[in-house]
Amino acid sequence: MNNSKWDDRTIAAASSSVIILGALLYYWVGEVQSTVELLELAYGSFKFFNNPMVF
Amino acid sequence: MLGNFLNNYKSVVGLGFVVLAVALVEFFEVRAAVYPGLLPFFEWLKYSSWIGYLGITYGSVYATVQAVHLVSMAIIGGTVLVADLRLLGILLKDIPSETITKGTHQCFKYSLSAAIATGIFCAAGVADKVYYMPVFWIKMLALLAGSCFMFFIKQPLLNSRPHKEIGPWMLRMLAVASISIWFTVAATGRWIGFS
Repeated sequence: MNNSKWDDRTIAAASSSVIILGALLYYWVGEVQSTVELLELAYGSFKFFNNPMVF
Repeated sequence: MLGNFLNNYKSVVGLGFVVLAVALVEFFEVRAAVYPGLLPFFEWLKYSSWIGYLGITYGSVYATVQAVHLVSMAIIGGTVLVADLRLLGILLKDIPSETITKGTHQCFKYSLSAAIATGIFCAAGVADKVYYMPVFWIKMLALLAGSCFMFFIKQPLLNSRPHKEIGPWMLRMLAVASISIWFTVAATGRWIGFS
């Protein structure tokens, strides 16, 4: 079993990496979405380089 | 049969158990039930414990300990980046990755211990503030997940055999997951400081 390419440690490493990357992606995409929503509430629309002096 | 499976796949079974435990905690809303009960502990940490007293009374002590915390976090970031960028084949390609991952892990262990010890002190000084901050709990979760990933998953695999036998994509995935989670720990840490 230990000579197999997909042994215990490799499967655990692959699974946990996928879980961690998925969870982090979910979290950071959610943060970006809420930031965009806040900007839209503040300025009416979201654009890069919003100038707070211009409404 | 089952005993043989459990013996051969200890890490996979352990990971499955953790995932199941997290799912059950969320399903039965254990987190929401436990959260209010933690407030007295955080209030005690700030107003009644000696570390809380030191932190809120002597600004110089708090600043010094926080400086050690930031330096420890910087060393953690450095060791993680050096090891993971080597695994990705970007940095220090003339040095065997086994040498680098073993060497940086020693340094990582000491700096993580220092970061946790000083982090408890820093959190004690603002315990009543961080208790209400979702980002503080995200940082704790990321720190726990990152530490478990490092000590129970990544390092045991990297130490188990020459890295050439592991497979390049497996090494890359480990490196990207590791960099991402420690980036999140650092970013949420700064977010706490910024809020």
